[in-house]
Amino acid sequence: MAARMSPYKLRKRAFVVFTHASLIVLSFVIAFPILFALIKSTQTPAQVFSYPPKFSIGPGAAENYSVAWREYNLGRLMLNTTVVAFAVTIGKTLLSLLAALALVYFDFPFKGLIFVFILVTLMMPIPVRIVPLFDLVRKLGWGNSFWALTIPFLASATGTFLFRQHFMSIPASLVDAARVDGVGPMRFLWQILVPMSMNTVGALAVIEFVYIWNQYLWPLIIISSNKNQMIQIGLKMLTGAGPQGMVNWGVAMAGTVITMLPPLIIFILLQEQFMRGFALAEEK
Amino acid sequence: MRSKFPNRWLPLVILLPTLAVCALFLYYPVAQSFSWSLYRAAFMGLKRLYVGTQNYVRLFTSPDYVHTIGVSFLFAGGVVFLGLSVSLAIALLANQKVRGARIYRVSLIWPYALSPAVAGTIWLFLLNPTSGVVNYFFETLFGVKPDWLTSGRLALLSVTVAAVWKNLGYNIVFFLAGLQNVPGEILEAARVDGAGAWRTFWKITFPLLSPTTFFLFIMNIIYAFFGVFGLIDVMTKGGPVNATNILIYNLYRDAFQHNKWGMAAAQSVILFVFVVILTLIQFRTTGRRVHYGG
Amino acid sequence: MKRGCLLVTVLVLFSFGWVLAREKTQITFWHAMGGWRVEFIERMVADFNLTHPDIEVTVEYKGSYRDTLNAALAAARAGDAPHIVHSFEVGTQMNLDSGIFVPLEDLIDQYGLIVPWEDYIDPALNYYRVSGRLYCMPWNSSNPILYYNKTLLNAAGVEMPKKPTFEDIISISRAVKEKGLAEYGITWCLHSWYLEQWMADMGVDLVNNDNGRSGYATEINLLDPAAIKIMEWWKQLYDEGLWVNPGRENWSQARQVFISGQSAMLISSTSDVTLMENAAVEQGFELGTAFIPVPSDYERHGVVIGGGALWVTGGHPDSELRAAAEFVVWMTQVAQTIRWHQGTGYFPIRKTARTALEMEGWFDRYPNYRTALDQLQETQPITATQGALMGNFLEARTFIEDAIEAILAGTPVPEALAGAKAKIDQGLQDYLELVGG
Repeated sequence: MAARMSPYKLRKRAFVVFTHASLIVLSFVIAFPILFALIKSTQTPAQVFSYPPKFSIGPGAAENYSVAWREYNLGRLMLNTTVVAFAVTIGKTLLSLLAALALVYFDFPFKGLIFVFILVTLMMPIPVRIVPLFDLVRKLGWGNSFWALTIPFLASATGTFLFRQHFMSIPASLVDAARVDGVGPMRFLWQILVPMSMNTVGALAVIEFVYIWNQYLWPLIIISSNKNQMIQIGLKMLTGAGPQGMVNWGVAMAGTVITMLPPLIIFILLQEQFMRGFALAEEK
Repeated sequence: MRSKFPNRWLPLVILLPTLAVCALFLYYPVAQSFSWSLYRAAFMGLKRLYVGTQNYVRLFTSPDYVHTIGVSFLFAGGVVFLGLSVSLAIALLANQKVRGARIYRVSLIWPYALSPAVAGTIWLFLLNPTSGVVNYFFETLFGVKPDWLTSGRLALLSVTVAAVWKNLGYNIVFFLAGLQNVPGEILEAARVDGAGAWRTFWKITFPLLSPTTFFLFIMNIIYAFFGVFGLIDVMTKGGPVNATNILIYNLYRDAFQHNKWGMAAAQSVILFVFVVILTLIQFRTTGRRVHYGG
Repeated sequence: MKRGCLLVTVLVLFSFGWVLAREKTQITFWHAMGGWRVEFIERMVADFNLTHPDIEVTVEYKGSYRDTLNAALAAARAGDAPHIVHSFEVGTQMNLDSGIFVPLEDLIDQYGLIVPWEDYIDPALNYYRVSGRLYCMPWNSSNPILYYNKTLLNAAGVEMPKKPTFEDIISISRAVKEKGLAEYGITWCLHSWYLEQWMADMGVDLVNNDNGRSGYATEINLLDPAAIKIMEWWKQLYDEGLWVNPGRENWSQARQVFISGQSAMLISSTSDVTLMENAAVEQGFELGTAFIPVPSDYERHGVVIGGGALWVTGGHPDSELRAAAEFVVWMTQVAQTIRWHQGTGYFPIRKTARTALEMEGWFDRYPNYRTALDQLQETQPITATQGALMGNFLEARTFIEDAIEAILAGTPVPEALAGAKAKIDQGLQDYLELVGG
């Protein structure tokens, strides 16, 4: 076979093999920590602590996952986090769609200024306002509540920006047509703009869902009761056994797997939109 | 002129929720950070005392805070350099037109969806001195069992590696998007002209990628400064001897463990100034926008 | 849009349906004991609720002591403080100055509850008595104790005295290590607590003004020869590879090192006795316990009671305050104390409870608990062992632990301690200006 190939083709074939091999190795290397976590989450404490480490699947999976789920309350935290993540993702998408609609399809005074006002909030990540924000949310009586985790996050400069960019790329004739047909702005948004913006919606949904699901610092300080806590903090409890007991790494790894699954699923489901939505954002 | 809907009040009504949240939960607290930073406070602000610029003076004259600034930049440098070079290399490979490219792509970028806390937990276990797998490999291969998380320099290296790993997916996504914009004809022309792969990369691909690289440069700095709190908290809590005590961790410690709210607010202001400078650089250079996660 | 809003609202209602008010006196209790103790405490609270039909205590685990206290302060600020807060000993001064708590003794007098104070052991009450008033109820009391692997020590041909010295620890560690029986001689987690305990045991106040009890402390005694001696010894153990660093405040890793046989000795809380006994059986070694070591040229003064206490916050209606006080007192009744000790390993703080346990043969079955109690009972009532009061104790611990880590990494002992002292003294000064000035 090879003898009949030109040197160029041979080199190309070798390159393809090399590419496949390195991509497979790289995928494995990147996945290794997770695979290791998966394997360890199935082992009994004795197997987890054995040295040299065992790399085989053990019989402790049911036990580990149920301990993480029940005793460490991850089930409850999972529900809380799901509700918060969906509420914020939906809320943010709605608010930024509305804001972009106002900014693109209406005329009103100080429009440019208002857009800048929203954009500047990109420079205000939580750490630059954490103490007063904590204080404010507490004073509002939202400490330790669902509201603390959702309301302050509903405005989205990113979302407003993305939708504004996208709307501006939609032909103006559509609005005229809509107006001639007597379609009001809200119906215009729902029936025309939103269906045309699904990539942006998808990309934004992924970013926001992952962002909220993975939030750590804010729930750590603002949520004080276990039953209202977010899942990432539950994870901290699994490894920080404190002055009592020992870290059961099998359970901790089971908890890790549980914690990472939902955003991973959302990401894999929406990754096409995510990539395309970003390609749009990249243009400008 | 783009045609508009005629309503005058509707746009303001539908903008109101966004504006209200921005004003109340973003602008107002940032402004308050400035005013709190002039006080010494205790007990969640139950008691406070006006001290002028004392908090700032103390921060910048404290060797610990200066050290923290140094550590933050070292860490950010590591995250940027390691993260960008590794992910660019991977993106170049994944950009090849081979069969199954889409599957490879997904299998390379999925760590994007992992949280810093998850990454921290897994690496904490991998690096565990008694039952971790990393030390098993090291002992087998080199006969040593390094103290990954209890010796200063190694701890910084460990959290850097964990942070880079977690962010690989994000970087690869953008590099791949950037690579799609590199026109195939130019590469083909270069190949025909006899330019080697290495030369083609440095002379053509890399310059064409520079907007993406610069964007990722800024994003990775932001990530290293603000995004890794969970990872640090789970893995090292800023130790040993503050070796991994980056600015945001120090801020958290002062604010919520030592209850020094004034001092913490001053640190918030310093971080804010830093973000503003970064944004201005970004704006000046490319006019691109940056998402800090908010 | 309407549909979206509706969806959000429904989701919200489903998951965060707030508890509706009931007629019983509702009080909340926040504690900081993780792991299996969460359930144990819940069972105790359930029993209280069962025997007190007009009171309903809601119990919640809030994470570490620091988290619990911060959460309570924040909640108090927002006007919804939990009634009972479990706080650690080092938070005492802060709790006093925060103004959110009421002295327990006042409540007990006001509501005419009967508490046989003479039956409580003194070291526990002394810690929380400030200017003659008992501010809170000692609950989970413990102190450090030395655990050792008797099987290993026998194999090494060495014996552990009941009251070992610093020098004993070095020689025993060396013997074990030289024979290759264990990788390390001893371990304990890197924690300021140990330095504090050793200083007290050597009879040295941690801070000035009688350990902060005759007035606000303004200086920490980290440059006292005792502190330097302790750190030199610690550093020597580390340099010779006799002590292994399990990590900062990493109790669980320290236990793991000892249980897995990597070290022959462990210094940890007395509340680990049950855990250690069980682990020893599982791992097939014989467990021994001893007093914590002191240098041979220092007299032994005893240990500071550690652990936590129950504090009642003010600003609630009388009925709730009364219920809270009742609950706190109930938790330290003899029956509960015995159950608490047997279940968790914390000290029985009632003398009657100890006698009952003695008669029941408990200490014959678990002689290691006796070591712990003896160590506590032999403690002299001086300010050093009464424990230090500092408003910035938490921050001080951070700085002390920074210094310990620096020492292990090679910074000279006096230099590292002086650095920590300067920062802590500054903190004490700042604190004083803020609350006392």
